[in-house]
Parts: sequence; C-alpha cells; structure tokens
Amino acid sequence: MTEAVRLDSITKRFPGVVANDDVTLSVERGTVHALLGENGAGKTTLMNVLYGLYEPTEGDVYVDGDGLTYDDDGAVADAPRRFDSPGDAIDAGVGMIHQHFMLVDPMTVAENITLGNEPRKWGGLAVDRDASREAVLELSERYGFDVEPDARIEDIGVGVQQRVEILKALYRGAEVLILDEPTAVLTPQEVEDLFDVLEELTDAGKTVIFITHKLGEALEAADEVTVLRDGRNVGTVGTADTTREELAELMVGREVMLETETPPATPGETALSVEGVTAVDDRDVVAVDDVSFSVREGEVFGIAGVDGNGQSELVEVVTGLHSLEEGRVELAGRDVTHASRRERTRAGMAYIPEDRQDRGLVMDFDLTENGVLGSQHDAPFAERGRLDWDRAEGHASEIIEEYDVRPPDADAEAKSLSGGNQQKFIVGREFSREPSCIVASHPTRGVDIGSTEFIHDRLVDLRDEGRAVLLVSSKLDEVRGLSDRLAVMYRGRIVDVVDPDEVTEEQLGLMMAGERPEDVPRAERVADAGPRSRDDADAEVADD
Amino acid sequence: MSVVDAVDGLGTRTRIAAASVGVALLAAVGIALAGHADVLLAVLALLFQKSTLAAALRLSVPIAFAALGGIFAEKSGVINIGLEGLLIVSAFGGVYVTSITGSVWLGLLGGVLASSLLALLFAIVCIEFRADQIIAGLAIWLIALGLAPFASTVVFGSTNASAGATFPGIDQLLANTGIPVVSTTVVAGLEALAGIPFLGALFEASPVVYLMFVAVAASWWTLNRTFFGRWVRASGENPRALDTAGVDVSRVRYAAVILSGVLAGVGGAALSLSLGQFVGNGPTMVNGKGFIAIVTYLLGNYNPIGAMLSTLLFAGLDALQLSLQGQNVLAIPRPLVRTIPYVSVIVVLALFGRTRLPEAAGEHYESGEE
Amino acid sequence: MTDADGGGSDDSVPARLPRDRLFDALDRLVAASATERLFISGSALLLSVAIGFLLILVAGRMTSCGSAAYSVFGVGFCYDPFVVYDSLFLGAFGDFLANPLNGQFATTISETTVLVFTGIAVAVAFKAGVFNIGGQGQLVFGALASALVVYGFSGAVSGLVGTLVLVPLGLAVGAFVGGIWGAIPGALKAYADANEVITTIMLNFVATSFALYLASGPFKAPDSFANQTRTLPEYALFPQPLFPGRTDASLLALALAIAVAVGIAYLLRGTSFGYDVRTSGIQPEAAEYGGVNAARTVVTSMALSGALAGIGGAVYVLTIAGNFQTGVPDYGFDGITVSILAGNNPVGAIAAALLFGVLKSGSIVVDVGTDVPPQLVGVLRGLIVLFVAMPEFFRMIGQRVDVRDRFGGSRDAVATDGGEEA
Repeated sequence: MTEAVRLDSITKRFPGVVANDDVTLSVERGTVHALLGENGAGKTTLMNVLYGLYEPTEGDVYVDGDGLTYDDDGAVADAPRRFDSPGDAIDAGVGMIHQHFMLVDPMTVAENITLGNEPRKWGGLAVDRDASREAVLELSERYGFDVEPDARIEDIGVGVQQRVEILKALYRGAEVLILDEPTAVLTPQEVEDLFDVLEELTDAGKTVIFITHKLGEALEAADEVTVLRDGRNVGTVGTADTTREELAELMVGREVMLETETPPATPGETALSVEGVTAVDDRDVVAVDDVSFSVREGEVFGIAGVDGNGQSELVEVVTGLHSLEEGRVELAGRDVTHASRRERTRAGMAYIPEDRQDRGLVMDFDLTENGVLGSQHDAPFAERGRLDWDRAEGHASEIIEEYDVRPPDADAEAKSLSGGNQQKFIVGREFSREPSCIVASHPTRGVDIGSTEFIHDRLVDLRDEGRAVLLVSSKLDEVRGLSDRLAVMYRGRIVDVVDPDEVTEEQLGLMMAGERPEDVPRAERVADAGPRSRDDADAEVADD
Repeated sequence: MSVVDAVDGLGTRTRIAAASVGVALLAAVGIALAGHADVLLAVLALLFQKSTLAAALRLSVPIAFAALGGIFAEKSGVINIGLEGLLIVSAFGGVYVTSITGSVWLGLLGGVLASSLLALLFAIVCIEFRADQIIAGLAIWLIALGLAPFASTVVFGSTNASAGATFPGIDQLLANTGIPVVSTTVVAGLEALAGIPFLGALFEASPVVYLMFVAVAASWWTLNRTFFGRWVRASGENPRALDTAGVDVSRVRYAAVILSGVLAGVGGAALSLSLGQFVGNGPTMVNGKGFIAIVTYLLGNYNPIGAMLSTLLFAGLDALQLSLQGQNVLAIPRPLVRTIPYVSVIVVLALFGRTRLPEAAGEHYESGEE
Repeated sequence: MTDADGGGSDDSVPARLPRDRLFDALDRLVAASATERLFISGSALLLSVAIGFLLILVAGRMTSCGSAAYSVFGVGFCYDPFVVYDSLFLGAFGDFLANPLNGQFATTISETTVLVFTGIAVAVAFKAGVFNIGGQGQLVFGALASALVVYGFSGAVSGLVGTLVLVPLGLAVGAFVGGIWGAIPGALKAYADANEVITTIMLNFVATSFALYLASGPFKAPDSFANQTRTLPEYALFPQPLFPGRTDASLLALALAIAVAVGIAYLLRGTSFGYDVRTSGIQPEAAEYGGVNAARTVVTSMALSGALAGIGGAVYVLTIAGNFQTGVPDYGFDGITVSILAGNNPVGAIAAALLFGVLKSGSIVVDVGTDVPPQLVGVLRGLIVLFVAMPEFFRMIGQRVDVRDRFGGSRDAVATDGGEEA
C-alpha cells in the first residue's frame, strides 16, 4: 500500500487537557478515509496538527500526495514534516475545508479561490482578473464542478460554497484534502452530490480525509474508517468489513442501544397556535413564509429541516425575539402576537434557545445571576425592583442539584462550564418556570450523550405532564424519535406535517430538500406502528 | 423607522444624493419657516459663489485624507477612531518642521511622519496587545490633544504656532517647474479657466486639493484592483480566510493602519500649512474633522469616491457656514451657525447610520485560535 | 465520555459554605478579577508616568534656558522631571501636614468631587454597553441650566432656607437637563443605529457652541467682559463647613458624590434595573432573551449617565464656579479616563477621581511653579487610557516576569480542540 499521510504517535496537550494521545493514523493515497468520533474525541485537533494550525506535543507527521517512500525495512524514508503554519501545510499539498467556510462573503468566487495567490500583472501591482477567472474556470471544468467565477459568495448556496472551498484547496495544489464535518450544513441531496465529488477527486489521485461524527456517512463515503475516542485511536476498519453497530460501539466505548422507546402521547387542548406567520431575516429576505401550525397540550410538535430554512426566525417569532410581518401567534387562546418577550415568559412560555452561549446564558455572570435571567423582574426574585440574591442563589443551587450541573457551584461563571453542563442549567432554569409551553430549539446540539438522554427524557416527562412542547432540531433522529407530529421546513415554508412513524428517513430527507409531499412516494403503512424509536447514535459527546 | 428602512437598501451614490437633498431641504425649510424667503435666496446665491466652492475644496482636504485613511484601517478590521488625533499631531508636526526647515514640503513630510508614528503606536496596541480598538482610538485622540499643545508651548512658547510659510498656489508651483510648456501655456490656461464663475475655483486651488483628488483615485484603485486591497478587504471581512490562505493577517492590518496614519498625516499637515499656522487651544484647529471623516466614509459606504462626495457635502456646509458668518446674511448668532456641520453629521448618521461594517471590524484576530 | 473543554468541569467542587451575603455582594461588586484590575490600572499609571518622565526630559532639550534644571550623564535638561512630578502629585496636597485644610488641597477636593460624577456617568453607560463620550456636553448643559435656574429663584429665598431650597434645585435641574442631553444619543443609537461615539462627540461641539451663544448673548452677565452668567449669591452655593474662606471646596458635595457612587453601585448590582443594564451591556443577545427591552435600556442608561454628568455640572457651578462661564474644564473627558481606570466600577471611580483631582490640582502647581506646560496632564490622561485599554500588554509582562500565573491562565485554558462547534 502507498500512504499519502502518516501521523506517527501524535500527542497534543493543552493546559489541563490531552486532546490527542499517541494517535497513529495512516491514510492510503487515492482513497477517502473517514475520521469518526464523537464531539471532543480529538478529531479536529488531530487534523489541525496535520494542517499546521497546531504543533504536536509529540510525534511525527509524514505527508506526500504522491505517496510516501519506504526504506528496505518498510520504515518511512521521507523526512518528517514540520508545519509552522497552514502556509507550510499548503506548500506540502495539504488543503483543509473547514466546517465553517473560510470564504469572504462580499467577494466573488474567483477572488476567494485565488486569495493570497492572486495572478498579477503590471509588475505585480495589479491583480490579473482575467487570468484568475480563467484559472478558476479551468479547474472547475476539470473536476466537473459547476461554479460561476464572478458570482458573489453571499449569493450562492451552501453546497456551491463548499465546492468553492474545495476548488480553493485544489488551486493551491492540494493533493490531500481534509474535510471537517462537511455534511453538517447540507441537505441529503447535497450530501449525495458531495460524495460524488469526493469520488471524482480520488479517481484523480487525490487523497481525502473526512471528519465526521455520523456513522452512516462514514460507512457510505469512505474506504476506511478510523475511530477516535477520548483522543485515542481505537481502531481502523475497512468499510466493507464492518457494521453500524461495531462502529457505534467503538465510538462510544460501550454497547449502544441505538433505539430507545417513547410511549405514545395523549394530547389535549391547543396550547400554542401559529397562523399565517411571515417574517423576514436581518437582510430583509423572507425567512418564514406563511407558516401555520398548532401544538396541543401533552404533545411534542417537531420541526425538522436543514439549518437555515427559517426555523431560527420562526422560533424567535414565537418566543417574541423577532418581529413578524404578518400572522398571529396565540398562547393558550390568548393573542400574544405583539406581546413582549417578558410578557410571553410570564404567560407560561419557556424557551431553550439554539445558541446557549449567545442567548441562553450571560457568560460572564455566575450561575446565581444566570438563574434569574428572564425572571429578574418577577417574584420571588424581585420585590419592588430589588433583587433577592439569597433566593436567587437557592434557586440556582436547586437547578444545579436537580439537573446534575457540574461543578455544583452557584458562584461558578457560566463560561467556566462545559457545553453540556451549560445546557443542563438552561434546561433546568426553563423547566423550573412551570411552563405551559416549552419551545426547545436544538436542545441537544453539542451536548454529550448522557446529557442528551437526560434532556430527552425530561422533555418527554413534561409532555406527559400535559405541557406543550415545540421542538426544533436539525437532527433527524431526534425530531423523529421525540415528536408526536412532525413538520418539515424548507425555504421558510412548512412542506408538510407528518406522523413520524409513517415516514422513512429517506422521505423526510427528500422533504427537507424541498420535494413537495405529493412527489414523495408515501411509505407503505407500517402494520405495527407501535412505540417509536429514536436513534441516539448520532448524539454528540461533550462539545465546544 | 420606516424612513430608515427605506433608505437602507439604497446604493452609495443614492445615499449621498439623498443625504445632500435632505440636508438642503432641512436648511431651506428651516429658513423658510423663519419667514425669510429673501434670506433663502441670499443663502442660495452664497452657496453658488466661487469663493464658497473654493472654501469647500480647501476644507475638504483634511477630512478627505482622514476618511481615506479610515477606510483602509476599518476595511482591514481595525476601527480607527483616533483619526482626529492623527490630524492633530500632523497639523502640529507640519508647522514645526516647516518652521525649522522653511519648506512646506518638508513640513508636509514631517506631519506625515508624526501621524504615522502615532498610527504605528495605535497599531501595536490594537494588533499586538489586543486593546479595545474604540478605547485605544479615543486614547490616541486624547494623547494628541495633550501632546500637540504641549509641544507647541515647549517649542513656540504658546499653544498657537506659526509655520512662516504656506503652500504656493498651483500656478506658482507650475510656473516654478521650469518646464517650458508647463510654466507658460498650462499656467495661462489655468488662469483663463479660473475665470469661470463658480467652477473656476477648481483651477486655482491649492496643490493639496489636487493631491486629494489623486489620493482618492489611487485609494480606490488600490482597494479594488491590487492584491493588497484584496487582502485588506479579506482581513476585515474574514481574517481566518486570509490566514488559512497563507497571508499574515497582522501584517496586512499593520500596513493598513500605518497607511491610515500616512493619509491622515497629509490631511493634518495640509490643514495647518494651508493657513501657515497651528492653533492648539481648546479642541485645536482640527475641531472634530477627524470624527466628521468617519461619518463621511460610513456615508460613502467605504468607497473612497463615495467618501470624497460626502466630504464635499460636509465641507460645503462648513464653507457655507463660514460665508454666513462672514457676510451676516442670516440673523442667526455665530455660535449657532457654527453648529451646522455638527448637527448635520448627527442627522445624517441618524438617517443613514446603518452601514454594514466589515464583518470582523473591531475584533482582534489571533492566528491559530479556533 | 471526554471533556475537552478544559474547564475541568466534571471535577466536583465542594459546595460552598454559606457566607455573609453582604460580603458576597461586595465581592461581586468589585468583580472576581479585582486584583488583576488593580494591577493593570496601577501598571498603566506607572507606565504613563514613566513615559511622561521621558517626555519632560525631551521637552527640556527642545526648549532653551539659561542653566540646566536637571542633568544626567552630563547632559543638561531645562526641566527637572522630579520637580515636575513633585509639584504634580504632592503639590496637590499643599502643606498638608501643617494645615490639612490648605487652599491647594481644597482645589483637589473640589476637582475630585466633579470628577466622581463624570466618572460614574461614563461608568453607568459603559455598564450598559454604551460609550458615552458626551459627558462634557451633558456637564456643560447641566451647569448652564443649573446656573440659570438657581439664579432665577435666588431672589425668592435667602439664607439657610435659600441653601436648602436652591442647592437641591440646582442639582435637580442639572440632572434633568444633562439627562435629556444624554438621552438624545441614547435614542439615536437605540432607534436609528447611529453610533454613539460619533453622536456624543458631535453633541459636545453643539453643546459648547450653544452654551457660548447663551452665555455671550441672552444670559450674559451685564458689566462683564467674559462670557458668563450672573454670579450666584453665596447662600445658593454648596455650604463649605471646613474650608474657611473658600467657596469652592465642599466636603458636603464630596460626601454627596461618594453617596451617589455607592448608590449607583447598588443600583447596578442589587436591582432588577441594574440587572437589565449589566446584561444588555455585556451580552445584548442574552438580555433580549431575558426579556430586557434593549432599546429602552440604552435610552434610560444614557439618560441616567447624562443626568450624573449634569449633576457634575451643577456641582461645578455650585462649588467651583459660582456661575456659568464658557471654557468649562474637560471634566467630561477626564470622566472617561476615571471610569476606564476604575474598570467602570462606580466605587473604584471614587479613587480614580481622587487621582485625577490630584493631577488637575497639581497641574496648576506645575503651571505656576515650573516652566513645563500644564498640558502634560492631558498627555498623561491619554496615555493612561491607552495603557488601560491594552490589558494584554500587562498580562504578557506579568507572565514573562512570572508574577502570577492567574493573569494568563484563564485565556490559555480554552484553547483546546473546540469540538465540532468551534
């Protein structure tokens, strides 16, 4: 076999943390190699070492896009690489496509691809814009990409932006491409397209390393899979010789129940109703387009969809954080369309926001102070404008205890907690409002598997207590598993509301890509629809 | 709010046009309401005097140069609110060096040097030591506000200082070149053109006015056509993209901030050397021009040409204000007339303040941070 | 399960013993990083003084004098930095040991009093995330309005009753007018997105010009060459029980300033309103989430900030000036420095204000006693702001000298993998 990359016994330590512990990774030239692991397993750190963003504490990096050479004993004859910066890695033929694209939005495709390596004219003074346009066209044709050099990044879709990122790496002569969670922002159809592109690249002799925490994708797209857990390599397997279950066990380190059961709901009165809501985003583009639905007491109403299809704006319209152009929102029969955020909270609406570090917690406040966020004007914490910090501390301590927040210290600043613990604190605070309606937006994003299960169970408990739950998530398994009714959003509209028991993942995927329900072949009605299941395998361990 | 929303989607040119019309209308309505139609006419007549345009051009110079500097700095991601301070030190530096050497051109260079050094200090503080850009910019202003009068008192014994020389006229400058055609025919041509009513002012302005137009064009070209301009823009929009493309973001930002010092330096030295003196008491002779410059480039949407046009708008107001004071057309007391440019800055900012800042402006960037 | 967060969050920490709530509140008030804050402010001050030292030497070479006032290594300098700093810092206290109530110290007290108000004015706005550079304009208008209204009513009452009525009236008027002038940029920011840094600076120019118009025109004191309003009768001013023969230094006014600073600290920490202000200041997104009306909070806190600056103006009139005169000293700008130096902590602002009171008072001694231009204080002011703005510089020094690990520790700990969301 000919390796393009070998990472030899890499250890990377940060103050107080070992992110990579003696990891050895070998990637064959011309293949797709998946790096699988839960959040915090050390995948990104390892690739940042390969890309020159981090210097390894110990270990050697060998890279050669044309294949390493070996001496007679089979040891690598190439000199180990020392990358001081991504620039060095780029020179060695390593390109990285980050999860968050490194693109300059107001600039054009060609400008972005050639950034830092602009073809020049007039003695280097001016950028040769014709030459860069041609270079981009040539590359894009060679790999069958369809990109318009003069389009602005902000005007093109996410899938195309990703291709621009890949072209950017190829333009710099990348032979080894690292893709960090490339599918997170893509629709299922775009994911398929991406996998075709990867095949095209490996056919041309390029080597692809692809970081993911999704089992299915690793199995589908890669030739080989290396699983990282707790910063260690726990095994490399060929995709032909393994199973979902085996990979899941490697990832989590214990046998995983891929399916848990949720008892059926017994819904009551309508608690939350949304009628004909239309809203625009920050750029005045319609983000929510004439959306109507209602959530009943004792039911979980799920909204699925690829991120950025209006779910965030919809949630914020419902919770009073975003203005709407048209439509009506009712909470327990009361019109709250123009009610303030505070009025809605007082009327019994709890909200677990999508972005806990921006919205849900004041990062510089301690937990005592964060515990009253949203109730700072209300009894029992406030009396005639004065805050009762004793009571607030007691409240925070109760949440900490009941929701197992660590460290169990009400004086700890929110920013010192791990993501999972931050989220547990928010969930605890919101649930402690005794709400009649809970809006939960991506409640387990970036949360470790234990906390995820815990939060799921609590949501179901609340539902069973007769509260209404509006659940928005881009994790298909999560919304399918928890929801009693499930809406799919695409480009600001609700494509359809379905019974999650009666659709397949594929059908949901097509709906998330905007296929009209009538175009989607309906599933054969499953005879024993029984208790539904949710798939926790793609839950994430630890987080940011 | 609806006005603001409606205005939001407009392009740069339309914004400036709208701002001009708005300010003009506001003034006209104000005067008309005061019941002085004849006064309105007199003001209009004043507005289209050649001397008003000449004054507007002269007053534009420091603002336009500072604005160009501000554009480079902010486009690269460093909000330079210290432009006022850069103008102050270069105004003094220009006078100081001129008084020693006797040459306004060396004085200009001295001003540029003073301002660039202060800009370098600002750059180090912001880029190396991650200072809050707004507070650091303010500090630059405060330092200059103390330093220039301090130095002036030390050297000249007073907060006000005389350079002993001013810029020659453009005709004189050309006549002295010694190039046959230039020193005769071109000069004669310029003199003839200068006779045109109103627009004639364009042909007998100070050399720094022409330098300003050249700088505006060069800045536009640099930002939009050179690799440096691209890097500056990328550094302000998405520094990580630039970094991962192998370009050192800090170096780009250093270059941009120092460039803002050079440009503001030309403006400040031009301001004081056009008058041949430095005035250092109170808010000094710069008197808020650096802050007005910030508003002009915001209004001009970071486009050098747009910034130039909005500069002309504010300088025009200032010129009109000066003429009004000088000719007593309006029965408004002078201190109140003097507030016109400041009030119009606030009005313009309130109506058109929602400029889209470069994405990463104001943020420190550390390579390798996740 | 791994925790790459670096926060060590899964280590269980023993539950905290219940503590006295008062201490707790004080703790929070001074913020967790009080030591660090103090270290940074102290270092910034020292560094500025050191640069000022060099500046005095350089200036001493640029000017000419008969004989060198100071020589080092055989090089003569016209100014002696030690004398300058001695005048600046110690001069402000006068002959304190012999007579603690001396005139120079009285000046220091009166300057400090006004600076406490402008300092906390800036601090309140800062806490709400608004940078109020308009303190000067708010102070000028507060002072002018106070001088005019108090004069207007000074005929109606007199004596002790006059003092009891007129002084509070003057303060109230100053607060009201300053508050309105502060609310304007607040509203412009909240509802039109106009950057408050620019608008407040512009409003300073407007206020100064407008005050000049009023003080030189409609309300000019007759028979006066200077642009000023009529002088207030003595009973309309702050009583000054301790400084005989002085009308400017009032310990009562200083006590009021300190009480207001403590009150503001409580307002920020102990009330729902303060919670709203602080939340929208450090994390507006979270404030919105917590039901805070961001726009209204910006306007109210700017109004409060302007009111405090306005009271500062009234105190200036009712202690130092005795009427309104154009050319009001830069209290508003010094307030920025005071607040920044105090880390925007209202109680800390008292100490920072004292420091600047000393500098202001001392600059008079410098002006009279040496040839060094008093604008030196202006340079020091700018340098202090600059250095406080770059805490990283001192952290780096702190790390290099290995004074204390804690200054750098917190930042490094987060630089880990970052998981998939980073």
